[in-house]
Amino acid sequence: MQEQTLLQSKIEQGDFTRGGEVSSSLKDVLRKLGIKSETSRRVTIVTYELEMNIIIHSLGGEIEVLISSEQIKVVATDRGPGIPDVEKAFQPGFSTADDFVRGMGFGAGMGLNNIKHYSDQLTVETGQGKKSKFTAIICL
Amino acid sequence: MFVVFATAKPMGVISVKKHSVLLREELCKGCTNCVKNCPTKAIRVHNGKAMIRDELCIDCAECIRICAQHAKHSQTAELEEMSDYKYPIALVPPSFYGQFRGVNPARVRMALFKLGFEEVQDVSLAAESLSRKTCEFLMGNSGIYISSSCPVVVRLIKILYPELTEHLIPFKAPTDAMGEKVRADALAKGIKPEELGVFLLTPCPGKNTTVFDPVGVKTSPIDKTIAVSLVYQAVLSVLEKVADVDEGELEVPYLGIGWGQSGGELQLLLAQMQDSSLSVSGIHRVKALLDEFSRNNIKGVRYFELSACEFGCVGGVFNVVNPFQARSDLRRLRSRGKSMIEHNEGYDFDLPGRFEPLQIGRLDGDLERAMEKLAQLEEEIAVLPGLDCAACGAPDCQTLAEDIVTGVASRSDCIFLLRKQMGDLAETLSGLLRELPPVMKKEKVDDKVG
Repeated sequence: MQEQTLLQSKIEQGDFTRGGEVSSSLKDVLRKLGIKSETSRRVTIVTYELEMNIIIHSLGGEIEVLISSEQIKVVATDRGPGIPDVEKAFQPGFSTADDFVRGMGFGAGMGLNNIKHYSDQLTVETGQGKKSKFTAIICL
Repeated sequence: MFVVFATAKPMGVISVKKHSVLLREELCKGCTNCVKNCPTKAIRVHNGKAMIRDELCIDCAECIRICAQHAKHSQTAELEEMSDYKYPIALVPPSFYGQFRGVNPARVRMALFKLGFEEVQDVSLAAESLSRKTCEFLMGNSGIYISSSCPVVVRLIKILYPELTEHLIPFKAPTDAMGEKVRADALAKGIKPEELGVFLLTPCPGKNTTVFDPVGVKTSPIDKTIAVSLVYQAVLSVLEKVADVDEGELEVPYLGIGWGQSGGELQLLLAQMQDSSLSVSGIHRVKALLDEFSRNNIKGVRYFELSACEFGCVGGVFNVVNPFQARSDLRRLRSRGKSMIEHNEGYDFDLPGRFEPLQIGRLDGDLERAMEKLAQLEEEIAVLPGLDCAACGAPDCQTLAEDIVTGVASRSDCIFLLRKQMGDLAETLSGLLRELPPVMKKEKVDDKVG
């Protein structure tokens, strides 16, 4: 099966009230497709973290989930402001989230690690002042 | 893939009882209250009757709670069926003691003996033992676990959260472990298997279902359940005749009795574990929690005590006393407990296998075809009004769309689409009416020619 879009959704900066909606509807879709529950959970967690990343750290963006016979691809793109030091951003516990966000229980500095941990492959295209693009692949 | 209303049965099996929640068809008005409140979307109103889809029902009894017509109900054995057995044993769940306004549990037990039970066994004892086992397990394992004592929660997870089945703590429920023990003890005493009848005084249909469809264990050690509501009056009438018992003489598992309400299980964990445990009750709140847990959004919790009924087992639909009162009374009983009963072992809590997830709700077994159906589903959702009025008999437009795609419903089941179709038809009709027969169309034809 050729790669097809499963879900596409715009995400606004700071829109916590809708946080988790994309990953919730995705979980439902994966169940309808009969995707194994362990795989579904990994895709859901990765999508949720990417979703929250856009809400917390970016100026807004979009998530697209694509499926083929071999894999599920979660692509998160945003409109900046970019990650100056990617390596540092992946260090457990490192976070640039402000007190407000931390007060809500987010921004503990594990998000990117979680994404990496639950993906089979993760590519990040970013840089200071640039748009960021995360591509996470989970094999079927 | 949904199999609707007629369940495919393996060849040679005539009828398999699957659920405890039943419908009194003559009382059902087809109002869809139960349809909308069902946590697994297992109910559809068809031909004016609220039918339950077997594969989705978890026997949580929410439909029984919400049905104003009392059309949804549940059945268990009656107290009299005890006489079918020469050696009937009563298993008393912790919540049972919340039904008698704080009467000494020992007296309640005496009353049950008077009613004819040969043995009256407290499930609270097994609950205390399981608490010890859970502490040991949590200390020896680093994972995050969910209590598997509420069979409805286990079924909910297997069906809606299959990815979380590995988090269910791999132990039998106290009722099952207790049932197995009393059964083995009775047989060892020389009671013949056919003479032995193990009865659970159940607070909920969910536990009744475990008798014929066990959760975790292969076969249920319980022969029958009797709804609390069906023993309540009998116990009350005998209680008057039972003198109060000297408490000093007796070991009552007061702390285990605390299990009858939400939070009672956590209170028996070691203090440091209580700090990293969470208790949630009520099926809709349990679902909300599992949604968060499933997306890895609950941090710092190692153990979840989840009960399908609000307030825990005291909230079961078979109870007579309202859950607020029962909870308050049970708390008072629990506070009498100083420590757990010692030398209370001999239960086998280890599961014979693991909890297996169920795969339900697939559009098609083949991924490509499922994708095609998913596209169809989106088309249907776009056509439906999105009002979630449930007048079609499905809980919401999304579910009706699924039913249309899987071929068990049609667009005209939606009253708004039906109305639109009728409007379109009426317009076509009135247009046709304005069309004149050819013999009367003369002028117009002339106009055109001219």
